[in-house]
Amino acid sequence: MDYILAAVVVLGAAALGAPVLQTAERRFRIGAYASMAALALAIVMVAANTVNGGISTVPYFGNLLVSDPLGDIFALVVLSVTLAVAVASFYSSPNGPNIPSYYSLLVFSALGMVLLSYSADLLMLFVAWELMSLPTYVLAGFDKKRVQSNEAAAKYAILGALSSAIILYAISLTYGVTGTTQISGVVARLALEPFNPLVSVAILLFVVGFGFKMSIVPFHMWVPDAYEGSPPAIATLFATATKKAGFVAAIRVVLVIATVYALAPNSVFTLANVLAVLAVITMTLGNVAALTQKSMTRLLAYSSIAQAGYILVGFSIFAYSQQTGAFAYNGLLGLTGSIFHVVNHAIMKGAAFLAAMVVLTQLKRGDLGAYNGLAKRMPITAFTLAVSFLALAGVPPLNGFWSKLLLFVSVINTPLAWVAVAAILNSAFSLGYYFWVIKRMYLDPGESTERVKEPLWSVVLFAVLVGLMIGIGLFPQQFISLASSAASSVIP
Amino acid sequence: MAVVTLASAIFSLEAKEIVYGAIGLAGSLFGVAALFFLLDAPYVAVFQIAVYIGAVAVLILFTVMLVRQERWAKEVKPASGTTVAGAITGVAVVVALAFAVVDANLSRFDSVSNTATFVDIGKLISTGYAPVLEVLALVLAASIVGALALSKVDREGSG
Repeated sequence: MDYILAAVVVLGAAALGAPVLQTAERRFRIGAYASMAALALAIVMVAANTVNGGISTVPYFGNLLVSDPLGDIFALVVLSVTLAVAVASFYSSPNGPNIPSYYSLLVFSALGMVLLSYSADLLMLFVAWELMSLPTYVLAGFDKKRVQSNEAAAKYAILGALSSAIILYAISLTYGVTGTTQISGVVARLALEPFNPLVSVAILLFVVGFGFKMSIVPFHMWVPDAYEGSPPAIATLFATATKKAGFVAAIRVVLVIATVYALAPNSVFTLANVLAVLAVITMTLGNVAALTQKSMTRLLAYSSIAQAGYILVGFSIFAYSQQTGAFAYNGLLGLTGSIFHVVNHAIMKGAAFLAAMVVLTQLKRGDLGAYNGLAKRMPITAFTLAVSFLALAGVPPLNGFWSKLLLFVSVINTPLAWVAVAAILNSAFSLGYYFWVIKRMYLDPGESTERVKEPLWSVVLFAVLVGLMIGIGLFPQQFISLASSAASSVIP
Repeated sequence: MAVVTLASAIFSLEAKEIVYGAIGLAGSLFGVAALFFLLDAPYVAVFQIAVYIGAVAVLILFTVMLVRQERWAKEVKPASGTTVAGAITGVAVVVALAFAVVDANLSRFDSVSNTATFVDIGKLISTGYAPVLEVLALVLAASIVGALALSKVDREGSG
């Protein structure tokens, strides 16, 4: 746990220090280097915490944070993604006097996400949520002279503020009923409460508030516009980091409360059913909309919405098993699959978004037509994109296959089997647009066959990401057991 | 007071002239402060008046005076379906919340008779919740950095 505090201090110092360098003429790159170093150092510290002290589930830091495997996994994911985003933006965005602020905001947001991953108190969770969100509103509009960037920032900021307000309302209702903001205290108090409509309203408000960041349908409207309008590196951050923060917050609050409290006294309007219905409409709408997109970023945005639906499948079976007392093994398996899929999704979507970003910066085009014959023009980028699409579609032996398998198997023998049917149909359906893009890249003739330069940083990043996708796909046991220990730490 | 708050909030959103909007916002914030007084939270109420009406609303008014521009926003006609859908959603949420509040049987909760004093609040935020306060400071720092980055006028050739 000391490692986490050290990581927090390092990140905070880098975030506060970077803008100071803004005054130094021509030395604005130092802020970027410092931020990347801080992120790397924080990754090492969180990794050390995972190895050494990750077992303790006792709250500390004034009972506000808890050091458990769940927090470790999410902190590692968000920090690694932020580092990748920092590297990608370092080489692709124009350098200017505002660049130190850009990295400072990036690190502030990463710090917020790390604190959110470890939060054990609703107050801490909300403050960390704001620390994560506020910088991203600015980052979305960082391209001040582009109208789309301004639009993306405005949409994202208004809906983000709305979701924050909804979360705050849910927190105050929870506090009003239970008299504590400590999540373990809330759980202990609610275990004695048979049914209280105010608590049910609070839980639904939590689902809605976190759902905005998780990009669940029907709270997804901002996603395609914000992803397309933001600077491409920041779109990567949205899809792979802040979205994951929404999931960890939902696990920490909604699923933990679900272990003791049922949404309603009947067996129809349960949290499990609510989540299951949300999961099915999210994946269906995401996949159907992705099929009709003309722009790569929008396609990836809708595919990202669809993936959120798969992750919710594990949430719903976990809630079901906790509330009925049956299928305990399936519940754990489902949550393990969800957490594992979150990790995989960060890798797969990160690779896909970064590849799309390289195409956008090198060819200056973002529509799908630019991908015709890409395999001849930018072979490494095309290969990365193809591998990440296959992984997203769940083709073995890539990493996406294992987490989807866990998710589908966990619901198959339970009353929620209809979700598995919908998910498998969706998965097959999504192959349509994934293979369509792969066909464009490898079979269709492009406008030229001339090689386009692929920057060295992208080649290195792609090698790491493709290596992870294939490596986790071949040896998933370690990751599954880590995700499984994280899942079991959720049950109080 | 709830009526005052809501009415001025709606007024501030619908106002054609941004100055009226700012005044409506101040009125709405004042209504919230009065609600805090009624809820036995004088500390929060005083701060609501001092910070939001005293500083934020006045700052907005000053900014409006400095950057005076006719027709600051184009009027966009919303698609006809969205108004209806929005109204239905809003009414549904209100009805659901009202049912929940009525069902919850609030009177069985004991109301705390003593109001939280300044000292109590100070003790809490400097002991148990001190880390939250520190993170809040980081939130403020992040917003300042972000606001500076967004509002700074880029010189030609350096943006």
